[in-house]
Amino acid sequence: MQNKLEVGMGKGVVTGAPHIISSLGLGSCVVVTVYDSERRIGGLAHIMLPDSNSLNGLRPPYQCADTAIAALLNGLRSRGAVPQAVVAKIAGGARMFPSSVDLSPAIGEHNIISIKHILSEERIPLIGEDTGGHYGRNVEFYLDSGKLVVKAIGREEREI
Amino acid sequence: MNDREQLLSEEQLDFLTEMMNIGAGNAATALSQMLPSQVNIKIPAVHIAPIIQVSSILGDPSLPVTCVRMGMVGDVSGTMFFVVPEEHKVKLAHLIQRAMPGPENKGTDIDLSVLAEIGNIVAGVYLTAVHDFCKLNVYHTVPALAIDMIQSLLDEALVALSRQVQAAILIENEFIVEKERIRAFLLVIPSIESVKILVNSIGQARMAYREG
Repeated sequence: MQNKLEVGMGKGVVTGAPHIISSLGLGSCVVVTVYDSERRIGGLAHIMLPDSNSLNGLRPPYQCADTAIAALLNGLRSRGAVPQAVVAKIAGGARMFPSSVDLSPAIGEHNIISIKHILSEERIPLIGEDTGGHYGRNVEFYLDSGKLVVKAIGREEREI
Repeated sequence: MNDREQLLSEEQLDFLTEMMNIGAGNAATALSQMLPSQVNIKIPAVHIAPIIQVSSILGDPSLPVTCVRMGMVGDVSGTMFFVVPEEHKVKLAHLIQRAMPGPENKGTDIDLSVLAEIGNIVAGVYLTAVHDFCKLNVYHTVPALAIDMIQSLLDEALVALSRQVQAAILIENEFIVEKERIRAFLLVIPSIESVKILVNSIGQARMAYREG
């Protein structure tokens, strides 16, 4: 039987097939999935911020890219995944108000850059990506196959 | 600050509602001049809610909402969102079409810019009420408009605003135009540094108002 898990903003989970993990209403936030296809173990993090080092105090691990990816990889390892077999996909990182004249940094872009940097440092291949643009996304991560389905209002469903 | 009691007392919340009610009256007057019919407005409901709960108060989170985002600057900083759920946007767009007939206005662009202007007006009258009662000078920046899922629209602001914001003020408006009821929300998210200023000013203004 398939079990659906929902992961909210700043949260994450590691589990195995046949679960489906969903995450809703991504704007500038980015979802990272990691997956070991042989053992069908994977994890998903709904990341809000690019870097925990710029912040004061301890944060829950899944809020920031660096600590979230570390938490996902620890979770995979403790479930017996083989690091060399792990691949990653990312979705999100939009800028929702393109006409805005405010000077705030585009957090979505910072998130994407930071996540890609960390993945390459960890030598985890990024094999799928649906990022940027000016629209929100819902995602579903299928632990039996590793596929990540991305849905957005008024757009074709996309599988990465 | 994870529930409303810690942010404002019941009396202060009542006072804030009263303040917002005066703002709402001014909004109705302004919108009556803009739209073809008389606009009435119900006493707004003011909620203080953890941000996590805001999207569920606004309805089905997978449905699109029309959202006007404005920054707040001055004595209180933060971000404001004027949010119109999809079904109410359709009603509002219909009224706007009647107010501004003509083939060039049949597209959606004109509706959207008018909606942004309505958000602008509503935010302005509420901030004026805050100024008149609390003696705080707060201004809003140029509105930006987008239509999407509410959580997607809010997340960037939540992350950008000092990264610790937990409470939001949600003002629920119901405009009545020709028996149609149009619901729209004004969501005010003060920055973490501004919450105290705002709460203190509301407390002081309430005392002064009662004494005066």
